[in-house]
Amino acid sequence: MYDKEKTLVDAYMSGSLSRRGLIKSLGAMGVTAATAGVLVNAAATRALAQNGFDWKKHAGTTVKLLLNKHPYTDAMIANLENFKELTGMDVQYDVFPEDVYFDKVTAALSSGSSEYDAFMTGAYMTWTYGPAGWVEDLNEWITDASKTNPDYNWDDMLEGVRASCAWNGRPGGQLGSDDAKQWCIPWGYEQNNLTYNAAMLDKAGVGVPGNLDELIDAAAAAQAANDGIYGVGVRGSRSWATIHPGFLSGYANFGQKDLNVSDDGMLSAAMNTDVSKDYHAKWVKMIQDSGAPDWSTHTWYQVGTDLGAGKSAMIFDADILGYFMNGAGNAMEGQLAYAPFAPNPAADAPTPNIWIWSLAMSTFSQQKDAAWYFLQWASGPEHALFGATQMDFVNPVRKSVWADSGFRDRLSGSYPGYVDMHDKSAPGAKIHFTAQPLFFDLTTEWAASLQKMVAGEVPVDEGLDQLAESVNRQLKEAGLG
Amino acid sequence: MDTVSPLERVLRGLAITVVILFFMFPIVWIFLMSFQTNETILRVPPSVVFEPTLTNYTALITGKLETAAGTLEIAFMRNLWNSLFLSTASVAVGLLLGVPAAYAFGRLKFRGSEDIAFTLLSFRFAPPLLVLLPLTIYFQKIGLADTYVGLIWVYQLIVLPLILWIVRGYFEDIPADIEYAYRIAGHSWFSTFRKIALPLAGPGIAAAGLLAFIFAWNNFIFALVLASADKQPVTVGALAFVTASGIQYGQVAAGIVLSIAPTFALALYAQRYLVEGLSLGAVKG
Amino acid sequence: MTQTAPAALPRRRFRVGRRALPYLLSLPALLTCIGILIPFFTAVVYSLQRYRLSQPWARKFNWGENYLNFMSDPAFWNTFKVSMSYAILTVGIELLLGLGIALLLQKRTRFNNFVSIMLLMPLMTAPALASLMWKLMTNPGFGILSYFAELLGFEDFRWASDPSTALLTVVIVDVWVYTPFIMILLLAGLRSLPTQPFEAASLDGVPRLFVFWRITLPMLTPFLLTATLFRVIESIQQFDIIYAMTQGGPGDKLTVFQVEAYLNFFQFTNVGRSAALLMILWAITYFLSNVFIKNWLRLREKQRGEA
Repeated sequence: MYDKEKTLVDAYMSGSLSRRGLIKSLGAMGVTAATAGVLVNAAATRALAQNGFDWKKHAGTTVKLLLNKHPYTDAMIANLENFKELTGMDVQYDVFPEDVYFDKVTAALSSGSSEYDAFMTGAYMTWTYGPAGWVEDLNEWITDASKTNPDYNWDDMLEGVRASCAWNGRPGGQLGSDDAKQWCIPWGYEQNNLTYNAAMLDKAGVGVPGNLDELIDAAAAAQAANDGIYGVGVRGSRSWATIHPGFLSGYANFGQKDLNVSDDGMLSAAMNTDVSKDYHAKWVKMIQDSGAPDWSTHTWYQVGTDLGAGKSAMIFDADILGYFMNGAGNAMEGQLAYAPFAPNPAADAPTPNIWIWSLAMSTFSQQKDAAWYFLQWASGPEHALFGATQMDFVNPVRKSVWADSGFRDRLSGSYPGYVDMHDKSAPGAKIHFTAQPLFFDLTTEWAASLQKMVAGEVPVDEGLDQLAESVNRQLKEAGLG
Repeated sequence: MDTVSPLERVLRGLAITVVILFFMFPIVWIFLMSFQTNETILRVPPSVVFEPTLTNYTALITGKLETAAGTLEIAFMRNLWNSLFLSTASVAVGLLLGVPAAYAFGRLKFRGSEDIAFTLLSFRFAPPLLVLLPLTIYFQKIGLADTYVGLIWVYQLIVLPLILWIVRGYFEDIPADIEYAYRIAGHSWFSTFRKIALPLAGPGIAAAGLLAFIFAWNNFIFALVLASADKQPVTVGALAFVTASGIQYGQVAAGIVLSIAPTFALALYAQRYLVEGLSLGAVKG
Repeated sequence: MTQTAPAALPRRRFRVGRRALPYLLSLPALLTCIGILIPFFTAVVYSLQRYRLSQPWARKFNWGENYLNFMSDPAFWNTFKVSMSYAILTVGIELLLGLGIALLLQKRTRFNNFVSIMLLMPLMTAPALASLMWKLMTNPGFGILSYFAELLGFEDFRWASDPSTALLTVVIVDVWVYTPFIMILLLAGLRSLPTQPFEAASLDGVPRLFVFWRITLPMLTPFLLTATLFRVIESIQQFDIIYAMTQGGPGDKLTVFQVEAYLNFFQFTNVGRSAALLMILWAITYFLSNVFIKNWLRLREKQRGEA
């Protein structure tokens, strides 16, 4: 079908044609950039087919996926034909909107449904799914050379991200420890840093803030200098999602922990230390003075929408949220910039807490080896590069993609500071929470406490003491404390 | 008939205007938004002056949604069809099961009738969440998970009690004499029910059916938990417009407009029964 | 039922059928629902267990412990209080408003008929989606309602995101969605009232307020009870609007039963606690419905006796 195109692409793969030249020639033939990308990947896939691995072992098998509506999903679906061709397998999928996605996952897994072989998840969720016995430890497949193709290159994954998806299942157990189980494979991830509206900061005559105090001042100054905007966007809804982005990244930067783990493995609340109280007080003040007026209902999309519509000067939130708000269809298209952010003046580097969209395999799957074929392809280097260069698959979790100059140039061209931000904060980027099964209970309550503090219903110290007391009680009740 | 003072006229007019404003303003606003892009919707201050666009509707109908992050596939029309099918089938089944039962409770008083009626109504009391988890497990076992039949069955929890309770009242209100006379004339029970009782209760049945249809249409959680993506109703489908590059408010608005349209058309069509005919017997006009 | 010749033995068939008929007629409906009742009992069992999905090894019967824990848990009593105030506020306002609108539209004119159908539109908007739109309309930046509030002199009115106005805001949305339901039931009721008592009162020159209190309202009571019954059940169990608008916040201002139960099940995967919460919710609705239905039946009997 694409014979002429195929020749061109093969020329590119063998190095006799530059990337730019390839895209240009393809463009002349009426092939769009996205299609060109798929074709390039088709060539990469053909190369993959020759690496001696038996890709056709599960030909004729159909695997079914449960997916969240997300650019990662779109990128995967765009490239899916190549996988089908490579393996002779068929792939079906159910895509659900993010608002209800995890409800669907919980419902499907808790009922023991064998409908889905693999699904998208976050690392936090596996702290429930793993102990519940719903997901497989993927080490079993990754380390099996007969099941994993030689070019998979597991070590290519960013260490902090990879480790964050591995847990030994013991409450308080170190993420990525030697006895850890790989509950899921990282696919794409988000660091929490600053995205700012340079024009608004300029108008206020302030530079890009370098720590929390500067952020508070810059937010107030930007809010005062620009009409009808607020200074800084952070999430505030009554949900775990309020705690994990900017808030915990900063919290960790001050060396604070959510929970203490005693020598005998017992957990207790750690959020009522003096440093923590100080940090909370500053955070609360920042929202009161220059946060969104409707902060307490802000989920990620309000934080993003406001920034994209020019209603806020900065966000301390997921970097990819800032990435998408700089794209077409937003009033602030092309006007946003990025910076790494270390709230603690004494800290050497940022310590972003991260969200990782990952892939996991259902324990109830009837065809795990076949499902693994899909997983290793979807999380493999070829697809990662395709997604990152041709689609909106940011942030990739593979070092090789971050080293790809095409990818770096593309990002730096339209997203000023993005690559630098990533490079600076990647070493400290990992999950900074203590892994334990009450994660959602405790963080939801934490968010509710924060809401009460911001509304002035309870003073910060008192609120934190109450929170710690309640956390300790719940840990005891669950037999963890 | 009765005389109304001018002052009362004015007050009534004023009251009805306020009522219409409160209830219709959001609808009008949603309607306006459905012809706007996100950029004009998210303007400050909000304004009614904009250049109307049909992109939201074309996106929904063709299933291609253009966003900053590229083209997204959406299955909105499929969702709309699912809603239509699920609601219609559920109400049809609900009427088939509910109307005879309502007749039994309303007309043929029998031993234990109140208890059975109450038991049936009490299904309405159970919070859906309570039964959902066990239900998914049982449905898995008996093969009803992810089937329209299973969903229509579960939808009876919403539909049946409503139909039963409203229709029963109508049967009770129909004077028994007419049926009695017809029976005496030698007609069977079934033909009396079909020829006399059903037509007399027709408006009540239509009203109950329409309300049940609306409640079935608005349901969210049953299909989400029990069925796969290709069987989801509009209530779930419209959430797909909450995308990584922001909420596509224009499309949500267009989705709401498209999802109200069939029900509204039905209501207008059934208007005769719903409002005009709801009143029973005695009134002459 | 049977296909025997209709002319043969009509009397005998009549008598046999008479006994079994009502049961036969109501049986299908009953069976349909009973099937769904099995999960209900399973849920009762869950509520008596220590059952966290994330700790399957620790699952065991703890009998009434989930329930007992609620007694000493301030969060539970807050939930109870919030659910009750929400139900009382919404149903109260909706009844008054619904009755008022029904009275305004009572006369059978084309205009009134059309308006009554038009007013059903909020009810046809799925609450989950309606809330998304209300959230946008009350957004302090882009929201048209916030804009109006500002024009009216409410500077910085924060709707659902302020603890002092959060309840009010969700109640407004609930009133917007569900008043039409009450309105249409009451309108049907009003128009079905026999005309004789009103004609007689009008001839005798009885004041209209007196007619309303002494004739209209009592005759309308069964309809009022039906409408209230359905609304109270739903209102105590409200989820869509509250969760979409505030997720139960700010703080613990709106953590009604279903929101708590939802969080406990889907996010905290604490099935035992979630089931126990829902059982209590079920018990409350069961009790309230019983009261309503008893009164409904009594009133109907009385009315029929008078007729």
